[in-house]
Amino acid sequence: MAEYRVLLVDDEEEFVSALSERLMLRGIEVDSALNGEEALGRMDEKEFEVVILDVMMPGLSGLEVLRQIKSTHPNTQVILLTGHGATREGIEGMRLGAFDYLIKPVDIEEMLEKMKEAAKTAHMD
Amino acid sequence: MQTKVEELSRVKEIGFMGKVTASLSHEIKNTLAIINESVGLMGDLLRQDVPENWPQYSRLTELTASIEEQVQRSANIIKRLNQFAHSMDKSLADLDLNETVRQTVVLAQRFASLRRVNLETELDSQPLHLLSDPFRLLYVMFGLIERAINCSPKEGEVRVKTERSGKKFQVTVTDQGTFGPDEIRALVSASVSAEAEQGESDLALLAQTTEALGGTIGAEQETGGLSKVILSFPATMPTI
Repeated sequence: MAEYRVLLVDDEEEFVSALSERLMLRGIEVDSALNGEEALGRMDEKEFEVVILDVMMPGLSGLEVLRQIKSTHPNTQVILLTGHGATREGIEGMRLGAFDYLIKPVDIEEMLEKMKEAAKTAHMD
Repeated sequence: MQTKVEELSRVKEIGFMGKVTASLSHEIKNTLAIINESVGLMGDLLRQDVPENWPQYSRLTELTASIEEQVQRSANIIKRLNQFAHSMDKSLADLDLNETVRQTVVLAQRFASLRRVNLETELDSQPLHLLSDPFRLLYVMFGLIERAINCSPKEGEVRVKTERSGKKFQVTVTDQGTFGPDEIRALVSASVSAEAEQGESDLALLAQTTEALGGTIGAEQETGGLSKVILSFPATMPTI
């Protein structure tokens, strides 16, 4: 049984599909959403310890989704996906309570490490 | 002399270029992310489901590794493009001259490699804070380094040094070319002519931009017959 559940949120369907499959091959329980509204809907149906959240999405932005997650699911840890490091969005995200951020294209081992740390923190809260 | 409206227009034009470049670089990053995960998945499935003694196993493993390397290489190039694009965000910012030189040298590296010129830096150990226009400063530094690369013989060396010298910050570009300091000074102070042949007014144009930024371009003879072009700015503390 997986140690933690992950919700992957990104508007690029092929990215979500390939990454989800890679995480499942590694024994991670993964669900996915292609936009912010869908992500918040999924979180109302199921508990997730970790959310991997793209910062730049059409419609509800990643930062707005983060704000809402922190308000309604404070125990869930959010790792932001950003195109570049110390951007306004990345810095603002950390200020809003994101656990950490990853820069695309991601290194899957680095992602697994951060997810594990985030999940530990989620269980401790 | 540029009017304020012309200056504002120029700032807006540059800002537009930076905004669109940054946006495009973000889109390319998303594409790279898809390629990265897809090829990563190919590698995962190969390792999981394909026996190692399958004839094409090792070739496919090599190919997926090569694609992953090129994705990373592209990501690094896009990072540089994005940093360059963001230099156009503001017309005034608190800069560290060392960081600007680092960024310029990275941008100029390919030009140096194409001419087989070695590009070296010697940066001051302390940050050199300057209030300036990031894009125009990059433009001036790149112009001076590019000039030095083009003047240098193949297998030659261009050295870029930063230092605080009294009440000034200096960026010195040394090359092994044949232009002496008198010739360089003449080119710097020459009148800019729209009819001049391509490249003739380059140093004069860079000098004009440098003057607009509050700096100067000078030239000196280095020991061993090398030429130094020196970009100087007053070392005043930033107030933003």
